[in-house]
Amino acid sequence: MAITRLPGAARRRVAVLPWLAAFAGLAAILPLAGVVAAALFGETADIALRDIFRYAATSAWLALLVGLATAFLGSLAAWLVVMHRFPGRDLFAWALALPLAVPAFALAYAYADLFDVAGPLRMWLRAGPGFDLPFGMRGLGGAVFVLSCAFYPYVYLAMRAAFLNQSVNVLEAAKMLGCDGWRALYHVALPMARPALAAGVALAVMETLADYGAVQFLSVQTLTTGVVRAWSVYGSTVSAARFALPLLAVAALLLWIERRGRKGRTHEAGNARWRAVQVKPLAGARGLAATGFCLLLLVAGLLLPVGWLLVTGLNTSPDWPRLLLAASHSLGLGIAGALVTVALATMLALGTRRLPMAARIASLGYATPGAVMAIGLLASAGIVWNLLPGSGYVIGIMLLVYAYAARLMAAALEPIDAGLTRVTPSMLHAARMLGRTETGGALAVELPVARGAMFTAGLIVFIDVLKELPATLILRPFNFDTLAVSANNYALDERLEQAGAPSILIILLALPAVIWLTRKIALSRPGS
Amino acid sequence: MSIRFAVSALLGAVLLAGCSERNGETAAPEVNLYSARRYDSDLPLYERFTQETGIKINRIEGNADQLIARMKSEGANSPADLFITADAGALWRAQQAGLLQPVQSETLDARIPANLRDPDGHFYGYMRRARVVAYDSSKVRPEGIDDYAKLAGPRFKGKLCVRSSDSIYNLSLVGAIIEAEGPEKAGAWVRGIVANMARPPEGGDRDQIRAVGAGVCEISLTNSYYYIRMANGDNAGDRKVTEHVKLGFPSLTGQGAHINISGGGVAANAPNRENAVRLLEFFASAEAQRHIAANNNEFPASPDVAPPAPVDAYADFTPNPMAVSAFAARQPEAQSLMSEAGWR
Repeated sequence: MAITRLPGAARRRVAVLPWLAAFAGLAAILPLAGVVAAALFGETADIALRDIFRYAATSAWLALLVGLATAFLGSLAAWLVVMHRFPGRDLFAWALALPLAVPAFALAYAYADLFDVAGPLRMWLRAGPGFDLPFGMRGLGGAVFVLSCAFYPYVYLAMRAAFLNQSVNVLEAAKMLGCDGWRALYHVALPMARPALAAGVALAVMETLADYGAVQFLSVQTLTTGVVRAWSVYGSTVSAARFALPLLAVAALLLWIERRGRKGRTHEAGNARWRAVQVKPLAGARGLAATGFCLLLLVAGLLLPVGWLLVTGLNTSPDWPRLLLAASHSLGLGIAGALVTVALATMLALGTRRLPMAARIASLGYATPGAVMAIGLLASAGIVWNLLPGSGYVIGIMLLVYAYAARLMAAALEPIDAGLTRVTPSMLHAARMLGRTETGGALAVELPVARGAMFTAGLIVFIDVLKELPATLILRPFNFDTLAVSANNYALDERLEQAGAPSILIILLALPAVIWLTRKIALSRPGS
Repeated sequence: MSIRFAVSALLGAVLLAGCSERNGETAAPEVNLYSARRYDSDLPLYERFTQETGIKINRIEGNADQLIARMKSEGANSPADLFITADAGALWRAQQAGLLQPVQSETLDARIPANLRDPDGHFYGYMRRARVVAYDSSKVRPEGIDDYAKLAGPRFKGKLCVRSSDSIYNLSLVGAIIEAEGPEKAGAWVRGIVANMARPPEGGDRDQIRAVGAGVCEISLTNSYYYIRMANGDNAGDRKVTEHVKLGFPSLTGQGAHINISGGGVAANAPNRENAVRLLEFFASAEAQRHIAANNNEFPASPDVAPPAPVDAYADFTPNPMAVSAFAARQPEAQSLMSEAGWR
């Protein structure tokens, strides 16, 4: 028991949590420090200022439009599903999150191919009905569409949880004052769910900024194009790293906005009486419209692209033993990555409760473009490679898992941090008065309370690792392919038919995790 | 969640990730291959090498410049033995970074023509790929595209499809034009190409050929093997496209079509140097060249290796004798010219 210990020993134990947090934070930030260091020294590439502005403008438009689209689609879908009854609602409640299982690059492959001017669909349209679609998927508009399909589930999940947990009393009060239906959404529910909206949109926008596979395939030139161009053509990692600095600044800004958004959440606290949210039936045309909207989202985000990948892959004969081996690698990395990332994120969240911004800085890796992160990761990996010459397989895997933790810290930190907010200061004070140290209190009180959130975080990281590409490509050991690597190899060699099988295997592996995730949210309303 | 569960799950996951391999503490001979050639069709070749020599091939595949960056980070401890890629520019950059060592091999010198290798033996090109033109044979005569200069002329205003300037193959082509004709004429050519574009650059080479087939444009720039693969592949739609879209070989300053290489160089700190040289010699063997030609549809580098089907039907063209190291060095210059002209 802690009370029987010497005061000195107790004092030493008090310091454990901040040290653990500092360790986790440093681990996450090392690659980013590598990026900044790389930006400072060496020769720069001769990239025209005009091009840099064009890339930056494209990145900004992309982030803005995807942010708006995901905010609208995700919030509307969550509002319909939580507050209304219409045909198919129970199915959509969990199915609408399924596109989370689909990598953005797989969506891009499918849509670019399906809507290509020389693709089968438009060839058939021109020959048969005699008209042509006035648009293709390669371009800014297509990229906004594809990335919105890929990332709206982040907003949907966050908003669904927020609507499920909202106070019925406030909604009833609003109703009595004549504010009902859509007006209640706009004037009451949305403002109260603002922290969730900010968190969901921040994740979607950060994913957008970090994406390379999808935008590159859709011929949209963003700042990450500049990174790759500086690196590949001019051989200048310095310039590549400099391209990353504005992106890091934007990511930091987003995280700050997200924190600010949370400050207004006090009105949610202190509702002891939980009653079921009143569900409003939507009859007739309005019900059909709701069903149609949800179905459209599901078709666009999952059924159409996956169906197309299946169709195009039909007459290929995949090398199943190799694919299954790659699948086992993906699965193993996903589980290891989830456990390590959640452990580090938990240390960080526990140790920095009084310094929330410090923890946020450690999660910047999430918004850093893959190619840039690769520069930073190579810098940190280089230390290991030079300390342990001939370092083999196990070290290689550990480096990779570490890279996932550094890159995906934000995805784990957000839910864990949110889970920890349920621990009130008085609970911790009680633990301290009963003789627990700060660390002991964390183990006895905070961890059990945040257990569900840690599991959620693990699922999110697992799904993200399955889809992760740049770090895996650059750090993996010999003879080690994952499904994402395999899909990427085929796509780069312009063999889209063969890219379908590994892409679909990724989706199959991720689906159970996504379903689990949505079930957890459905059960999240206290008292239900 | 108990800590014990987490730890055992973690161990299990690492085991799962690494189940099938890596118990090789035995001193079995091996060679570590860093490959930017990620073609399934190369795999049987690797197996064949292991059968013949008993040397196991460990590979890491990836983007050429990321592999270069990885070798730089690994420094003197890099396990890399042989670096292979599908563009002369990447080999040149690896050489410039001091990552390759010169190799003196009579076998390689005999098999690889002088213009397809580095004069000091830092790298050797064992396959050739031509960057040429796919054209709509119902609208364009072969004489209309027999010179790269004609592609930039007013005849093809709004009729040309090409991918973006990020493509290393486009960069190498423009680099070759700079080398042959100087930056000013090359700049004018690039501006002519931009003026002729039927649409902003999008997609890969195969998409350009399909666009010609769909009537979006009349000509497109493409690597030879994409076309040959479409003409002989499983996709019926692609085969149909190649019935009226044909492959033409323009000439650069009257000396033949622009040639790039697939090639390799031995890493500067290769722990298995001998095996690396053996593997490179194996890639340059007639057997390997024929295998790659038949399966990935590139052209053999050795003049005395007869191209097998299906590339034999396209092999009757004049290759430009320009040294690959000459245009490889001009890629950055080419990129600047192209972005100045608005070639995205």
